[in-house]
Amino acid sequence: MTVHHFIILSAILFSIGAVGVLLRRNPLIMFMSIELMLNAVNLAFVGFSRFLQLVDGQVFVFLILTVAAAEVAVGLAIIVAIFRARDSVDVDEVSDLKG
Amino acid sequence: MPDATTLYLILPEITLAVFGMVILAVDLIWRERSRAALAWLTVLGFVIALATALLGWGWNMALFAQMYVVDTFAIFFKLLAAIAGILVTLVSLDYLRDRTPYRGEFLALFTFAVLAMMMMASSASLLMIYLSIEFLSYMSYLLTGFLREDKKSNEAAIKYFLYGAITSALMLYGLSLLYGISGSLNFADITATFAARNDVPTRIVALVSTALVIAGLGFKISLVPFHQWAPDTYEGAPTPVTAFLSVGPKAVGFAVLLRVLLTALPAFKNEWIALLTVISVLTMTLGNLVALRQKNVKRLLAYSSIAQAGYILIGLVSVNLNGASPFSGLNGVLIYLFAYLFTNLGAFTCVIAIENATGAVEIDDYKGLVKRAPFIAALFVIFFLSLAGIPPTAGFIGKFFVFGAALREGFLVLAAIGVINSVISVFYYFSVVRAAFFEAGKDTAPIRLAPPITFSLVVSAALVLVMAVYPEPFFNLAAWSMGMFGVAK
Amino acid sequence: MEIIVFYLFAAIAVIAALGVVGLRNPVYAALCLAVVFVSFAGLYVLLSAPFIAVAQVMIYAGAILILFVFVIMLLSPPVDQGEGALKWQKPLALGFVGALAVQLVLVLALAVLPSARGSLTPEVIAQRGDVQVVGAALFSDYLLPFEMTSLLLLVAIVGVIVLAKKR
Repeated sequence: MTVHHFIILSAILFSIGAVGVLLRRNPLIMFMSIELMLNAVNLAFVGFSRFLQLVDGQVFVFLILTVAAAEVAVGLAIIVAIFRARDSVDVDEVSDLKG
Repeated sequence: MPDATTLYLILPEITLAVFGMVILAVDLIWRERSRAALAWLTVLGFVIALATALLGWGWNMALFAQMYVVDTFAIFFKLLAAIAGILVTLVSLDYLRDRTPYRGEFLALFTFAVLAMMMMASSASLLMIYLSIEFLSYMSYLLTGFLREDKKSNEAAIKYFLYGAITSALMLYGLSLLYGISGSLNFADITATFAARNDVPTRIVALVSTALVIAGLGFKISLVPFHQWAPDTYEGAPTPVTAFLSVGPKAVGFAVLLRVLLTALPAFKNEWIALLTVISVLTMTLGNLVALRQKNVKRLLAYSSIAQAGYILIGLVSVNLNGASPFSGLNGVLIYLFAYLFTNLGAFTCVIAIENATGAVEIDDYKGLVKRAPFIAALFVIFFLSLAGIPPTAGFIGKFFVFGAALREGFLVLAAIGVINSVISVFYYFSVVRAAFFEAGKDTAPIRLAPPITFSLVVSAALVLVMAVYPEPFFNLAAWSMGMFGVAK
Repeated sequence: MEIIVFYLFAAIAVIAALGVVGLRNPVYAALCLAVVFVSFAGLYVLLSAPFIAVAQVMIYAGAILILFVFVIMLLSPPVDQGEGALKWQKPLALGFVGALAVQLVLVLALAVLPSARGSLTPEVIAQRGDVQVVGAALFSDYLLPFEMTSLLLLVAIVGVIVLAKKR
């Protein structure tokens, strides 16, 4: 088990998340894909931290975890506000602005 | 552990944090009574933060285990942040009065947004960059979507949010690779690593990271192709928030970009200069060409802001800190950002003033403005001259230094494209002026201005003109601010 | 032995990730995301970061995911019917990202990463406890980011309430 195992897994999962963001139209699923990407990055950080034998990566990941929680709250609040103002959550339908 | 010096140097941040919480508390206690007083409280907070920031002028210290740098470069940007805060607060209260009952929360969120900006300016660690950018981002998303019943505001917020979350995840991935390669989160260590190792896989990973970091910061600065959120977000957000977004995150985004590229990644200068040159050309050109077709003033200013980022990037690309030339590129970026701050805020304040009085944001509705509000019409002329870079305005000085640096470094084509784009921009800026001055409008009622708006406009316009006529102090300001990297390099 | 556990968790994570990205029903996608989070926790334990593993489960699977499910239930979005007008974009995007991923994997496989820089071996972590190690760092060197994050949480809460509360 080397660091390469983990960072390659991280790259694969990051790419899967990226595909999700590009291909899905529903903001909730896009958001979940973004969380997937963030988790992949967390994996990379913890992996590096372990094999560098330092603690910085773990600290960074802990703070990313916290900040991601706030991000989810903010994002879902915006989505809820959209839903209250209109009745659908499809990104393609949300296009009053000219884009 | 923080000692007295550390606390002294982070006074601006402490001030804003305290004032932000005080605003929340006071709003809770006073409820419906005088929201105007809250606005003045906010302004007071920014003024104190500005004053305490100046206290640190001349120090060059890395605090908190090298992750937070207080040098003149950082202080320059903290000053910009505080000034932007003051000007935007002055014009926002009127705007919000009939649109939302949560004005206290707005001011608090805004204070914290400015705090996040100040922290971005001083960040010297991958961790601090990420946290402060995210802090500013979340505040921005919330402020953009603040008018929760307004469909445009919602839409602006969700687009801004999704785009921002994606690019910040990309940037974070780049940061993780940098950590992995160098073993440290601090810029100084990262530079040392790349100075020592030059093998191909390391270079490739470093370049991927650099590109990803540029993606993340390019989003904040609205560089092409990370600009696509900007027109919709600028159009849909409450106009004071748009004004803020067009100058605040852009300025500190550049600050972080400069710091990262020059103190952590100088080993790859050739590569990122090449990449940024291409981005600069695309940004200027796309911004200007699409702006030509806009009928909505907010969207026009959005594309204008996108293009302006392209010009500033020319200064970054032409960075050369050796020698005693006044055109160090860095100089140009700082002067341009300073000029741009007042110019763009001034232009948006005019838009806000008109929107407050008439609710209009289309160019067609600006017809006959010279009869209804001659003061604003005149100011539009001044601010647009400055944005286009025509003397005698601050914008001209900014462009002078940026293009001068490009010429010094031999980027003739780039400078030429910049000049051509400036000429193109004259056309769309003056479409607004033409409507205001030379066409007759339907409505002819005069437009009154609230005193805070007048004050803000006078200050902005004065600075735009003064900077062109008496530029010495501003040159010195920028020159002193180049005393950065005294710590990390 | 560890390698087998790694591949097990890795496989689960990848399959669940594909589920998140590919499933039509948002509730199913959210449940797949939960599986991803838990398998990550397993990977963190393999990496001698048990505190992060527990934090991952608590914060991601326990808070964030619940929030997602709440909002999905609240909004009851219709099951995605498939993307009509953009059919040609799918293979293009897939191909593009696939190519990038392959290149990234190759580069990372070849990269020479620095060996141990510090002295935090798994034995040290096992002896002192991951909580103590991370906590000590968090309250000494990383005090500023820590305080800043707490401020961020406070203000985010305020903003979220403004945006999402009922009239």
